[in-house]
Amino acid sequence: MRHSRVAYPLTWRVMDVFERLAAAVWPSSFQRGLPYLMLLPAVVLVGLLVLGLIQIGDSSLRTLDTSTFMMSENYTLANYQRALSEKFFATVAGRSLMGAVIVTVITLIFAFPYAYLMVRTPSSALRKFLLVALFLPFFIGQVVRAYGWLIILGNQGMVNEALGLVGVPPMRLLYNYPAVLFGLVQYMLPFAVLMLAPALTAIPAELESAASSLGAGWVRTFRHIVLPLARPGLVGAGLVVVTLSLTDFAIPAILGGGSQDFIANAIYDQFFRTSDQGLGATLSLLLVAVGSILVGVVFMLFGAGTLAMGDERK
Amino acid sequence: MGIVSTDLHKAGAIAVSVKDVGMVFGDVHAVRSASFDLPKGKFLTILGPSGSGKTTLLRMIAGFDNPTSGEIFINGQPVSAVPPHRRAIGMVFQKLALFPHMTAAENVAFPLKMRRHDARTIGEKVERYLELVRLGGYGGRRINELSGGQQQRVAIARALVFEPDLLLLDEPLAALDRKLREEMQLEFRRIQKELGVTTINVTHDQREALVVSDEVIVMDGGEIQQKAQPVHTYRSPANAFVANFIGVTNFIDGKVSAISGSTVSVESNGQLLSGVTAADGAPLVPGTACSGAVRAEQIRIASARAGLEGLETIVEGQVADSIFEGERIVYEVTVPVLGGAILRVFNHDPVSHLQFGPGENVRLGWNAKDMHVFKK
Ligand SMILES: Nc1ncnc2c1ncn2[C@@H]1O[C@H](COP(=O)(O)OP(=O)(O)O)[C@@H](O)[C@H]1O
Ligand SMILES: [Mg+2]
Repeated sequence: MRHSRVAYPLTWRVMDVFERLAAAVWPSSFQRGLPYLMLLPAVVLVGLLVLGLIQIGDSSLRTLDTSTFMMSENYTLANYQRALSEKFFATVAGRSLMGAVIVTVITLIFAFPYAYLMVRTPSSALRKFLLVALFLPFFIGQVVRAYGWLIILGNQGMVNEALGLVGVPPMRLLYNYPAVLFGLVQYMLPFAVLMLAPALTAIPAELESAASSLGAGWVRTFRHIVLPLARPGLVGAGLVVVTLSLTDFAIPAILGGGSQDFIANAIYDQFFRTSDQGLGATLSLLLVAVGSILVGVVFMLFGAGTLAMGDERK
Repeated sequence: MGIVSTDLHKAGAIAVSVKDVGMVFGDVHAVRSASFDLPKGKFLTILGPSGSGKTTLLRMIAGFDNPTSGEIFINGQPVSAVPPHRRAIGMVFQKLALFPHMTAAENVAFPLKMRRHDARTIGEKVERYLELVRLGGYGGRRINELSGGQQQRVAIARALVFEPDLLLLDEPLAALDRKLREEMQLEFRRIQKELGVTTINVTHDQREALVVSDEVIVMDGGEIQQKAQPVHTYRSPANAFVANFIGVTNFIDGKVSAISGSTVSVESNGQLLSGVTAADGAPLVPGTACSGAVRAEQIRIASARAGLEGLETIVEGQVADSIFEGERIVYEVTVPVLGGAILRVFNHDPVSHLQFGPGENVRLGWNAKDMHVFKK
């Protein structure tokens, strides 16, 4: 008896029971439907998003009656007219777009050597250190990190105190555009590195050896081999950084101190300060449109294939 | 350095000179005190099992790694301070390392552009080298639109187009199927002879080493075991490793009982067998534990009553197995007088094909000069 138990362990028999149960509940004739069933949660989530968009679209076509605080019954394009003509919104949009572009360029420049070193270093200790240093900020969260910068960069902050030691009078390091961009770059860096690292891993180190034996020093190896082959990673990382920066809320709010609002801050104000749902919805849709056009243009320029999706061939 | 080799350096006849080169990774001695000279225009193959240090040696010559000891000379100049892109060395990598974002022609043009050749001559030169590797008209293809053999040819053209002093091949044929591999081996040989470029080829394929090379270096455990011409390596292996690695060899263990000149008498299981000392092997004295090596094709097989006249060593045995391999039959014969050792014997004689079945009694014979005796 014991002998047969050894030959056929209890865990196997438990698994057999489960399998039989599963077969009763889910006959194999249903198997073909399984992949579609697994798609269902994603479809539901995207569907909800579309429903929300329709709702927002509806709101954006109604204006707020400031005397009754009721939304108008009739559809009108007045909100769009306001959003596109008022100088304040143009300023905010320009600030956000330019900020997103500057942050993306700086982030990619910083992230590339970091990712390259992380991928290529022969020392596994250094690789682990770089990875941990990358993930640590994720555990801290965006808002806490922004407050951290307040402590460091504030008028009585560590930086100004250090400057004071060498006789430099306190400087206003916060609540200006560079402070916001600085905070965004710091926030985006890990995203960019994480998107670049797989793209760089996919470039065999042997290609760089080959280039050097063919007469290319490291600068030209980088320009002619590494950079072109890393393009999918750069485009992907750039897209993520540009969209996340463009739509960011916390960093402009905290490090900009209300003077450096991005689009998301303006939307927040419409929804929760002036309670103008209509204008808030309009701004939201315009932001979605600008983001989509940006992504669309990048896809047209580089092809969706550059994101390592689908087949290599055009 | 001897007077002769100094003269050779002065005459510029030595392309590569490796002097006491060693490479240590942590506690792994990948290469130990390797030394050899390679004359210009020669085709050298470094042959050895996986992990024997072949790639490490090649990478040091190419300049990707610096030796932890010793020095490498190219055209008489020490090169440890010269980075790879300043050495005139073409290398074909194990995985080819073609640039996937460029066409075949752009790959071949790359070294010319990097070396700032006159832009007007590049196109014509690329075309000439693509033709040399029989890829004329394929220049516009992307790398992933070419077959394995064609990619191989692009890699060769790219490594040769800038007329390097030295061509290095790191097992570029290992991934090809046998037929294509043998075709490419002859192709390498043809191109090397046509251009006269000094070449170092690395492989674990003994057939390739024998077919393509002027000289063969056999490596094991990071150490050079033998450097000789292919025929010499095959006929007079320096030690048991070389004898075993190249060809199919039977080893008969025993003890040296007497030596006179190059003739050795080996005692094995009470039998006295006659052999010769290995030409490049370690010296033997009576009483040394040794191993007699006889190639499978040097042993004649005949029926139990046959005379096998003219052969100096004759033993009785019983066929354990016979394996038909097309152009030859491999017999595995148990020999009781040698302690039940199983000897492998090739028979290429079509007349006697399938003459002996399992269990049949046979006689085996070989000449004393065909048993090489190595120190154990
Ligand atoms: N970069 C490296 N770091 C550590 N060990 C290495 C490295 N390169 C090679 N080795 C070791 O050196 C030995 C020889 O390797 P290699 O030269 O690649 O052999 P082969 O090319 O003959 O197969 C192996 O034991 C291998 O594990
Ligand atoms: Mg190797």
